[in-house]
Amino acid sequence: MGESQNCYLICYDIRDPKRWRKAYNLLQGYGERMQYSIFRSWLTMRSREKLRWELEKILAPEDSLLLIRLSNQCVNSIPAYNRPGAWSNQDEPYRIV
Amino acid sequence: MQALELSRATEVQVSTIRVSALHALAYCPRLFYLEEVEELYTQDAAVFAGRRLHTQLEKQEDEEWEELFLESEELGLRGRLDALRTRDGQTIPYEHKRGRAHRDENNQPQAWESDRLQILAYAYLLESAHGITVQEGRIRYHADNVVVHVLLDEAGRLKVKQAIQQARILRQSTYRPPVIDNERLCARCSLAPVCLPEEARLAHNREWQPIRLFPEDDERQVIHILEPGTSVGRTGEQIKITRRNQPVETVPARQIGQLVLHSFSQISTQALHFCAAQGIGVHFISGGGRYLGSFDTRQGSIQRRIRQYAALSNPDACLELARKLVICRGQGQRKFLMRGTRSKAKTEKLEKAIAQMKAVLKQVPQAKSLESLLGYEGNLAALYFSALPDLISPEVPKELHFAGRNRRPPLDRFNAMLSFGYALLLKDVMNAILTVGLEPALGFYHQPRSQAAPLALDLLEIFRVPLVDMTVMAAVNRGQWDAKADFEIRGKQVWLSELGRRKFVELYESRKQESWKHPVTGYSLTYRRLFELEVRLLEKEWSGEGGLFGQLILR
Repeated sequence: MGESQNCYLICYDIRDPKRWRKAYNLLQGYGERMQYSIFRSWLTMRSREKLRWELEKILAPEDSLLLIRLSNQCVNSIPAYNRPGAWSNQDEPYRIV
Repeated sequence: MQALELSRATEVQVSTIRVSALHALAYCPRLFYLEEVEELYTQDAAVFAGRRLHTQLEKQEDEEWEELFLESEELGLRGRLDALRTRDGQTIPYEHKRGRAHRDENNQPQAWESDRLQILAYAYLLESAHGITVQEGRIRYHADNVVVHVLLDEAGRLKVKQAIQQARILRQSTYRPPVIDNERLCARCSLAPVCLPEEARLAHNREWQPIRLFPEDDERQVIHILEPGTSVGRTGEQIKITRRNQPVETVPARQIGQLVLHSFSQISTQALHFCAAQGIGVHFISGGGRYLGSFDTRQGSIQRRIRQYAALSNPDACLELARKLVICRGQGQRKFLMRGTRSKAKTEKLEKAIAQMKAVLKQVPQAKSLESLLGYEGNLAALYFSALPDLISPEVPKELHFAGRNRRPPLDRFNAMLSFGYALLLKDVMNAILTVGLEPALGFYHQPRSQAAPLALDLLEIFRVPLVDMTVMAAVNRGQWDAKADFEIRGKQVWLSELGRRKFVELYESRKQESWKHPVTGYSLTYRRLFELEVRLLEKEWSGEGGLFGQLILR
């Protein structure tokens, strides 16, 4: 039960501004927004399922949601073929402000 | 305490038992006890996946479905039914399960034992609350999409009654049931990191090889706010950090494990409430580098603390734990000095101190009182700190050398680093104590005197050498310190400057990331996890599964 984290790309299309805002705020608590409607988040199995549950309470059947898990190899090679600054690597385990 | 137990007993008698608690009881009595009596809940992935299934079902449901809350005083049971359906004049309760059904020898789908009890309880509850006859309940297993029918007969009713009876007895007991024999149940249990079944089994049988259940790492960030005048607030699900003349920064709350506020930074009440709800530790450290305190949200139930009060008001138990602690710290210090003799620079003083410490350590197990233990500890510390300067390599500039420990205020640069390091360490130990839900003000060795909590000071002893002494020594020998820019000298007193503090926090936090193999449980964990593991092992000392605490000794 070692809790390893994976990087997920989370994309959505939400048809109603009210639901959209709720989902957007929730996702901001889990990770960072990369582009419009695309978030990147580091999740364990536990937090992934929690997020799916919390989103399910917000979304309606007409909305769409896509979670993609990226392997470590994917994550590491992304900066190699993108514009600079499109993908910053994971934060340190601590931060000093 | 007796009055307290009495009032608890009457309160428990009137309240009913949740059906889902019976499900836990059928799975493992210890799980039931931890959830119902000690009020420990940790949800794992499966729990959330189950909830998502229910949310999805609610959206699909047509009018025949209804969900309802039932309670029966007579039966002593309450619960929320997933769904109720009427078929041919019969009322049938439904339960949805995300997983697979149990398969018997003929590969026919069957209900799992705990699920069977749960649906029987729902059916019986429905009968009792509505005064109707219920013939059966049904469980739908979504993973293999089968529906299992469970008949409610006299035997089934009896089983439910027995389970309720057992649950009542357990609820009033102050004794935590032992770990279950079936290891495979633990591997899928959401409470494993709290219950520590592996460690409990190890306490009873040292030969046993644990399969590792303690989660490897808490990946959440520790945020140190060093710049004075910064304010911390909350916006939505994020923590907002506003610095003077800097753009506002936001950090997703799920990625934060601790907020450490150094010197005069502000934190809003909204942010504090949010941190309490999210399990984010909030700690305060003064501008001079002294640990001030933590935001205590009182995790866990009173049960655990009552056990702590009972154990630690027994002088013999305290003395026993204190001996372990002094040995653990003394051994750690001695082993650290011995590392210094491996390289070329072997000095006579070092060798002598190591030999003398060995002699003192031999006497510790015979100590008859806390006072004499304090004496031994003082001896050990004096020997250690007199020999420690010999580990500093000769190339290090003279300003960074030291000649013995002093504090309040520290009089040289080395002591200033040690003092700041111990403050950070105290913060982390406190964080672990609060997470586990013990009472920091009741320790077994340190007597309450300053503002610092005795239990935290006790536990601090285990980690001093590996996390602070070694970090400081290594950084000094590597020449990472600038004797001018990193320190501030005011008269006789020496403090770390803002730059120095920043450097130190970095060194300390990266040290915490390093992993170390626990000598007893045999698996490697990062230091930040070891804090919590050690506190949980301490808690086991007084719940009948002791013997593993205070074994973290350097090799």
